[in-house]
Amino acid sequence: MTAPSPRALAWRRRGAAFAAGWRQFASQRSGLVGLGLLVVIVLLAILAPVITDQGGLDVTEATGGTMAPPDGEYPLGTDRSGRSVLLLTLWSSRVSLLVGFVATLLSIAIGTVIGILAAHYGRWVSAGLMRVTDFFLVIPSLVLAIALSTVMERGIGTIILAIGLTSWPSAARLVRAQTLTIEARPYIERSKALGGGHLHVITKHVLPAVLPLVFVNTTLAVGSAIVAESTLSFLGLGDPDPMRPSWGTMLRSAWLDSAVLAGAWWYLLPPGIAIAIVVLAFTMCGRALEAVLNPRLREG
Amino acid sequence: MRSRRVALGIALLVSALVTGPLVASPGAVAAPEAAPNAKIERANQAPTILKVGVTQEVDSLNPFISITRTGTDILRTAFDFLTVYNQEEQKPIGSLAESWETSEDKLTWTFTIRPDLRWSDGEPLTAKDVAWTFNKMLTDEVARTANGSYVAQFESVDAPDETTLVVKTKVPQATMTSLDIPIVPEHIWSKMSDISAAPEYPMVGSGPYIITEFKEAQFTKMVANNNFWRGKPKVDELHFIYYRNADAAVTALQNGEIDLVNKLTPQQFDSLKSDPNIVLNQAQNRRFDEILINPGAATADGTPIGDGNPALKDIKLREAIATAIDTKTLVERVWSGYGEEAAGYIPPMFKDFAWSPSGDQKREFSLEKANAMLDEAGYRKGPDNVRLDKEGKPLNLRLLAHAERTIDEVAGPFIKGWLADVGINVTVQPVSDTQVNEATTRGEFDLAFSGWSANPDPDYVLSLQTCANRPNAQGTGGTPDSFLCDEEYDALYTQQLQEFDRAKRIEIVKQMQEMLNEKATLVILGYENALEAYRKDSFEGFPLQPRENGVIMNQQGYWGYYGATPAGEGPVPQFNDDGTITDGGDAQTSDAAAEEDSNTGLVLAIVGGVIVVLLVGGLFVARGRRKTAEDRE
Repeated sequence: MTAPSPRALAWRRRGAAFAAGWRQFASQRSGLVGLGLLVVIVLLAILAPVITDQGGLDVTEATGGTMAPPDGEYPLGTDRSGRSVLLLTLWSSRVSLLVGFVATLLSIAIGTVIGILAAHYGRWVSAGLMRVTDFFLVIPSLVLAIALSTVMERGIGTIILAIGLTSWPSAARLVRAQTLTIEARPYIERSKALGGGHLHVITKHVLPAVLPLVFVNTTLAVGSAIVAESTLSFLGLGDPDPMRPSWGTMLRSAWLDSAVLAGAWWYLLPPGIAIAIVVLAFTMCGRALEAVLNPRLREG
Repeated sequence: MRSRRVALGIALLVSALVTGPLVASPGAVAAPEAAPNAKIERANQAPTILKVGVTQEVDSLNPFISITRTGTDILRTAFDFLTVYNQEEQKPIGSLAESWETSEDKLTWTFTIRPDLRWSDGEPLTAKDVAWTFNKMLTDEVARTANGSYVAQFESVDAPDETTLVVKTKVPQATMTSLDIPIVPEHIWSKMSDISAAPEYPMVGSGPYIITEFKEAQFTKMVANNNFWRGKPKVDELHFIYYRNADAAVTALQNGEIDLVNKLTPQQFDSLKSDPNIVLNQAQNRRFDEILINPGAATADGTPIGDGNPALKDIKLREAIATAIDTKTLVERVWSGYGEEAAGYIPPMFKDFAWSPSGDQKREFSLEKANAMLDEAGYRKGPDNVRLDKEGKPLNLRLLAHAERTIDEVAGPFIKGWLADVGINVTVQPVSDTQVNEATTRGEFDLAFSGWSANPDPDYVLSLQTCANRPNAQGTGGTPDSFLCDEEYDALYTQQLQEFDRAKRIEIVKQMQEMLNEKATLVILGYENALEAYRKDSFEGFPLQPRENGVIMNQQGYWGYYGATPAGEGPVPQFNDDGTITDGGDAQTSDAAAEEDSNTGLVLAIVGGVIVVLLVGGLFVARGRRKTAEDRE
């Protein structure tokens, strides 16, 4: 029996760490509930084309009454054009989740790169990058996002860019702080003394060490990205394609069609509750992860 | 920690003090019910006020400048005109002018102004004021901002004596009895150095009310004009209150904060049906909505302008697009049935001039037929079921829409859907109103939502399609609408403007509409109804214009506001052709229909509310748990 290679050892170590982390995570009920909700919602969103017919989103094919209350055929009633609100809510999850994920990845990627670079190189690089960060931090991000999405052509890409480009500064600050504490540790000094270059130090030591934090931050940021997408869509800056609704555009049409005055709660509540549930699920997951990765937050 | 508890205690105490009296005395809740009666009793002493809710900001109250619906609506009640459209059927009748005659060559018009007219400040109102107003517009470009088109062909204006006004025109002008120009007092306006300046209040006027106060984006207050020549109105004050949000205006009407509101959406209109104190008025509107199809935009001198898809120059393609748009569904879905199906360019409200296609001219909605037309015209289908144009490029069209207009927002997906079914890919582009206006004037569109409010005299909307209305090279200086520019159409346009025989003019106008239908540079979507509502407990009613299916607000005259009748002071007056009053019947407004059972709605709303509370509660519980974890650290 030969001794396991260092690589295999490393993987074994990671597997054990993951298992321990999962046990920690599983011991928190809210985290589990959040994760369960997310799995169900993501599955529903992915399977939407399989279990339902996208043709139902086409207003010219709609058969329901105008803002008809829920009944057997339309469990959540219909919208102004006679489309099923349930179908709309289901399909909207696709755009909302997609924008939420991609925009968050974009924003975290920018934030991580800027944060690590600023902390690692220090001095004028840090000063320069941090001033840019401060600049974005003091501009109200909603205003900037609105300005961006007005200038560019309407569509999902624009929304993702607008949210991604405006929400990275806090991530950058966070990653920079974490990088600074890590770079102060002796093994980094040793690595440098042994001839490790910038690239080596950053990719082999700093990045793996900040990744858990980045991961938690991502989970928490998805929720706010989804809210940001809904806000922009509600303000009429979303994707105008009727076949790609989002919860924000649903709320917008409910508002435009005076759903409140008409008492059409079935038009207004589903997208609102959906946003609340998804954001809640991401928050619950994120908090549980945070507790796993940060021992100071653990119970007992 | 301690200070926090003290703060909590104070907060509790304060809230108890605030809510206490309300809880303690149930009588306070019942009080508002008695209010309406008290209101009627008080009417003898306190001034009666008609409070009108408007959802459009006033651009200016300067009669030479204002062009918005709300601004002109207010000014129409503050300044009288030479002639006014009658209440019955919107035909011009004398107002400041008692009578008029034209010379043989139709170039000289002599108006006789009523004697003994007075401005609201007591100064005499004579032909000199009218002449000054017209001459100011002839000499000062700024004064022509709002109504310049009416005086464009004026040669000279004179007032030989106090009751005679002589207007000479360069060419015969059929719109001389419908000059929509507010007449202003010379003794006030001639002293103003800047004619475009914001006016001072109270404004001296000659209409049924005078403007006394104006706060931008808040309100305009008017009081009854004692010197109005038809007599003082029954209402003492008229307030226009601005609401940024139409739903808020509707709620204000339900609460009795305002008495009258218009421009309701079908949903708002329906939601008011169950209120026993509110009377609804579904009126024919003078507006038409259309889709413009860019037939190859060009400037006034014929140079191509803009970036319209060249494929749309083909009339066959435009006809197919027009065939693939279903006005019936649009009326049903977009206007929830509160509208009329598309016919001619002039809305059916103007019975004389309205035209409707018959037989072969009529394009019945049929996707199969539209597909067949495109097949026949040689647009074969490419990949993804999108047809290819004559150069082999896929037919991708942009549809410019007003981002804030409900009609565009709701109708856009329908048009996209139908055109997709015939193999034309449409991208809806919602942009701001200004961007739509600029892009359509510069010809930078393929398809675009548009619409106009026609006047009883069709001249203006007809002029939009003429060659002369195309812009200059910079894309300004014209309102080209669909860039039609057709020699035959232009000839007919000139002919109708110079035709004084009404029957013959109607014939020409109908011919022009037939041409517009044929050329398919625009597709009429339909004519929405004007939806208005007022409180029955404070107002008996209002004279409608036209008398059948007419509107209360945004009239072509001042009848609605002038004849406003407070509750208990009925009947509502009806104005005859000569402007005199007959106390007409009571059938002027349709009463609110069927009471709806609102109980189920209430129950469902409560269920929804409980769900929300549970969700929010869940959120707090989750947060609370986390907090204890932190605290326990």
